[in-house]
Amino acid sequence: MVSTKFYTAIYVVLFVSATVQVLVEFAGLAYWTAFGIIMVLSAAKAVLVAAYFQHLRWEPRSLTYLVGIGLVAALALTVAASYSLL
Amino acid sequence: MSDTDPERTDGGTEVGSEVVAGGHEDDHDHGHDFPGTGSIKRWFVTTNHKDVGILYIVTSLFFLVLGGVLAWLMRIQLWAPRAPGETILAPVAYNQAVSAHGLLMVFWFLSPFAFGFANYIVPLQLGAKDLAFPRLNALSYWLYLFSGILFGVSFFQGGTFSGGWTMYAPLNVPTFTPDVGASTAVLALVLFVASVTVSSVNFLTTMHRMRAEGLTLRNMPLFSWTILLTVWMMLFAFAALLAALMVLSADRLLGTTYFAMESPAGALLWTHLFWFFGHPEVYIVFFPALGVMAEVFQTFTGRRIVGRKWFIIAMVLVAIQSFVVWMHHMFLTSINLQVKTLFMITTIGISLPFDLMVFALIYTMLKGKIRFTTPFLFVFGALLLFIIGGITGVFLGAVVLDYEFRGTYWVVAHFHYVMVGGVTALVGGLYYWFPKITGRMYDEFLGKVHFAAYFVGFNLLYFPLFVAWETPRRVFDYAPELAPWHQLATIGGFVLGLSFLIMFYNLFKSAFTGDPVSDNPWEYATTAEWAVSSPPPLENFEGTPTYRDGHLSFILDRESDVTGGATAADGSGGATAGGGVATSPHTAVTTEYEPTVEATEVEGPSHASIWPFVLSLGAFLILLGISPLQDAAFPEGMMGAAYATTAVAGFGVTLGSLIAMGLEPFHGPVFDEGEAWPFSGIDNGKVGMWIFLASDVVLFGGFLGAYIFTRFAFGWTGWQPVPDDPIPGLVNTYILLTSSFTVVLALVAAEKKHKLGLVTSLGATFVLGIGFLVNKALEWQHLFHEGLWLSTNVRTSTFFLTTGLHAAHVIAGLIIALYLTARAWRGAYLEDNRSVEYFGLYWHFVDIVWLFLFPLFYIL
Repeated sequence: MVSTKFYTAIYVVLFVSATVQVLVEFAGLAYWTAFGIIMVLSAAKAVLVAAYFQHLRWEPRSLTYLVGIGLVAALALTVAASYSLL
Repeated sequence: MSDTDPERTDGGTEVGSEVVAGGHEDDHDHGHDFPGTGSIKRWFVTTNHKDVGILYIVTSLFFLVLGGVLAWLMRIQLWAPRAPGETILAPVAYNQAVSAHGLLMVFWFLSPFAFGFANYIVPLQLGAKDLAFPRLNALSYWLYLFSGILFGVSFFQGGTFSGGWTMYAPLNVPTFTPDVGASTAVLALVLFVASVTVSSVNFLTTMHRMRAEGLTLRNMPLFSWTILLTVWMMLFAFAALLAALMVLSADRLLGTTYFAMESPAGALLWTHLFWFFGHPEVYIVFFPALGVMAEVFQTFTGRRIVGRKWFIIAMVLVAIQSFVVWMHHMFLTSINLQVKTLFMITTIGISLPFDLMVFALIYTMLKGKIRFTTPFLFVFGALLLFIIGGITGVFLGAVVLDYEFRGTYWVVAHFHYVMVGGVTALVGGLYYWFPKITGRMYDEFLGKVHFAAYFVGFNLLYFPLFVAWETPRRVFDYAPELAPWHQLATIGGFVLGLSFLIMFYNLFKSAFTGDPVSDNPWEYATTAEWAVSSPPPLENFEGTPTYRDGHLSFILDRESDVTGGATAADGSGGATAGGGVATSPHTAVTTEYEPTVEATEVEGPSHASIWPFVLSLGAFLILLGISPLQDAAFPEGMMGAAYATTAVAGFGVTLGSLIAMGLEPFHGPVFDEGEAWPFSGIDNGKVGMWIFLASDVVLFGGFLGAYIFTRFAFGWTGWQPVPDDPIPGLVNTYILLTSSFTVVLALVAAEKKHKLGLVTSLGATFVLGIGFLVNKALEWQHLFHEGLWLSTNVRTSTFFLTTGLHAAHVIAGLIIALYLTARAWRGAYLEDNRSVEYFGLYWHFVDIVWLFLFPLFYIL
């Protein structure tokens, strides 16, 4: 495993990017631009937590795929259901 | 979730009992607490998979009778078309009978019946001594039983749910179904889904991690294959149903307005959530029946199934495709034509693998030599019925035809041919495994009489419904010229129902007085359950089963191979004629055995715990207690107080039994890792935790999907976040991120065996979690004073309910954190820190969810 210092660095990155998300909102960008930036930041934070805090990076890849399947199912439902309204 | 990981919670405790892998020295809990099968106590404490299997089978048959009696009531009513004033059952009572019949049969009979066999047979087929988490297995059963009792209670609370088994919105909200019993029925389903989720995690961990050496997935028997695919589908599909049911419960009890008529696309939201679950559910119900068909076909044709590999591939395809066909149940809703067309195509696509399976079964019969025993008759009948059910379903999959058929008896007839066709195979399975379970043979003549009556009754009941297809579904008034067909169906219904009396008599009598059977009463049965005695010993096998030489043999603990009997159980070299019949090993996995080991008293795992029962009782009381809530308030007076007291008592019982379960010394089955693809080298507890989290992803996905869908229907950018200030949310993000960090520090401290660091970090996590909740409470209070609450509009409903679900996860995590802190204070987790690690996985997941809730509900 890795050192406490490394975990601290991850924590700082997470902390800062959460702040950035709110700053983006207050920056007065176009709605969908801000939307894109904020969601990408959220996804990036989620990947960091899963990869390092949940140490998926050092686990067999099958566990990552397992969670990925759940994610794909949830996204398929959301996207297809929303599309069906168009 | 360390509480759901009972086998691991006691590593390195102050008691000083270390769980050593394969540690036979830990015997202080073994044996003396485990009464024999004749004792009533046994059945309340047992965690053994075979006992649990029997409990499932018996309980599910009880629900078959209950659902069947409701069906009889409907068929009596349908003897003649009736106007509302001249009915036998009052109109609403009829609606209740229709709804309860559907719900009971689909949820409380069909799947649990199949899972009785799965519990009993699958560990034997895998070469495992029990499921991975035996207490969780008992918990699944007790949650199932209590959910059924809760459903039963709903009849006496002004009437049960009456809006059909699909529970379509907006009929499912109190405006249209105001009885308390209707809420209770929904809560009973919630409890049932909890049982299913626990069961899915347990089976998936077991089936992936605990197969005997050499038993690769490719070689796994077909019944086990069908169960494996079933539990995978269950894991994700039931999580979506749980989301739907929790939202519905909130609408009914707390006053949220997701499905209210004035909410944008509320009715459509329900159909999406329900059918995303509902279509995989068709295969969840049918696959075990398919597995029984495959096993019984192989045994009684003496022939390995034709195209075994392709049969498996076809099943895997169906399991995946089942998640992309759900909108064919929605062709008459307002979804757009493009998506209807797309789902018509995927629906036709899913019928193709089934064609392959049907032809494989037919061809197996042609190539084999059939013996017409009772089990074979039932599965053969099931195949015929399924072919009819499948073909009539293709009509419904076509958009244009569905416009005509939707809401008619064509649908009713179609899905009864499929579903009850599946039941037919499972009844065959009951006869097939009866000698294994009881050690005695049933009466073959009475079995055949049962089949004849059953098959005639079935077709007399359901086939006329195709002819009378213009009858409107769920309605007791119909065109008078259709009456003769309905009268035929009613007669068939009684023949079908009464035929079960023959079975009950036969099996009950034979269980006590039938001829005793050997290990394997069926010639050519090749799967491993037939390699052990009937019934099998408590821990299934003497020695460790292995397939490393291409057949089943057993290794004694003293490392001496005890078998190698040359006589193959599959009868290869047997005398039966017929082209290629039984002259070669049937499957890659043939069983060869000669039990040479005398039964010795081996010290081993635990088999008894009362806490699954008590925990389920507690959950039952909570849900019963909250059932009369409306707009988050109990009714006035004594009644309301009694309900509230019940809920509080239930909460106490649940919490107490969770802690007791965590502290109880309990040792899961000892096993040497054999085949464990794709999770080899990962601890059972960790695999179980990740599987649970994957289902939780879908649960939150359902909630977030409901929010996104509703907001999309409302008009995305016209929808403002409920809190006007994102800063409290940002503060909570900071708090939660910090608490994740402290959990990481806790694990680091545990790895360094640093007790103070561990306690401090866990304690800090707890304090931060409390801080998160306090901050949230202040924010909610503020919003409440602004006049915004759950029931204000759908915008506030989604905000409070989704963040509320997350808060509930935080609270559950805090209870575990408190438990861990207390244990760590007393010196636990320094030797074995897995509990801390698994708690961390859960806690980080809750953190990740918040990372998405925060922008979606506070910023955007």
